Amino acid sequence: MVKFLKILPIAIKTGTVTIKYPYQEPLITESFRGAIEIDPNKCVGCGACTRICPPKALTMTIESNTIILKYFVGRCIFCGMCADTCPEKAISITKEFELATGNIFDLYADVEHEVKTCPICGKTFITRKLSDKIISKVPDIPLETMDLCPDCRRKETLKKFIGVPE
Amino acid sequence: MVQLLGGELNSKGIDLRKALSRIKRSIWVYHINTGSCNGCDIEILDVLTPYFDVERFGIKLVASPRHADLALLTGPITIKTFSKVYRALNAMPRPRFVLAIGSCAVGGNIWFESYSTLGGFPKALEMFSEMGLEIDGVVYVPGCPARPEAIIYGAATLLGLQKPKTRYRRFKA
Repeated sequence: MVKFLKILPIAIKTGTVTIKYPYQEPLITESFRGAIEIDPNKCVGCGACTRICPPKALTMTIESNTIILKYFVGRCIFCGMCADTCPEKAISITKEFELATGNIFDLYADVEHEVKTCPICGKTFITRKLSDKIISKVPDIPLETMDLCPDCRRKETLKKFIGVPE
Repeated sequence: MVQLLGGELNSKGIDLRKALSRIKRSIWVYHINTGSCNGCDIEILDVLTPYFDVERFGIKLVASPRHADLALLTGPITIKTFSKVYRALNAMPRPRFVLAIGSCAVGGNIWFESYSTLGGFPKALEMFSEMGLEIDGVVYVPGCPARPEAIIYGAATLLGLQKPKTRYRRFKA
């Protein structure tokens, strides 16, 4: 009984420790990582982030004639590896953590990319932005085969060297 | 705002769905771990301590699902725990709410296509509706682990104290 009273001077000395959260700013340090944000103007749709993402929160899907880079924040582990690996620095890490919502579809964010279609076989294979980027970066690239998909390009290049089989 | 399931006008002319969509008393919470790594569970304990002090909002931890209004669910729901989760949620009185905390409970995290987990609460919710268990509201709290502030924010969203910030976005590159 008397032992319990020992806590009183400790409590008086410490005072109130409670963080009045909605009214008081939460502790967010410099290194805190929240949800990521994709800049649609910078993103070329190379898919490097989808390959590095450990829980596959970033995925790429082909829908008719668009490639969609889908970000599902509900599966994100906030590791920031996508921001490190992005060659265009299109992904930035924000300090946003108040993401709670009642509707799971609110947790998705999509970036829509225009897609290139092979004129020979009709296969969709790369985003238009990435193709333009490659043409501008690589010197002496054969422009006549750039519109073709990898399979058709191989065939066309071979035809150039050994001629058309009869 | 809050996902609703079922509910039509009953014999007394009360819209059951509307009546069960909001809770007007202090909420008592029950903590269910369904194969979580304990990261989110530690954050939940943080929320319940005097440091964050959720009793300001009338939230109190109880030891039995029969006393609870809200289940704090963490983990990707492994196959082994699924029957226990069903029993715990079935024991809760209506209106029953679920706060799915952490990446695991929301989307399955890195275990979303594993053979031993269901891969998140949305998939369990589909199975519950097939089994005839109605859940009146679910709020998803992403985060790995979810910050104590994020959990308080989720509870405030559930209580209707504020509107959720996150929206579906679609950009053209």
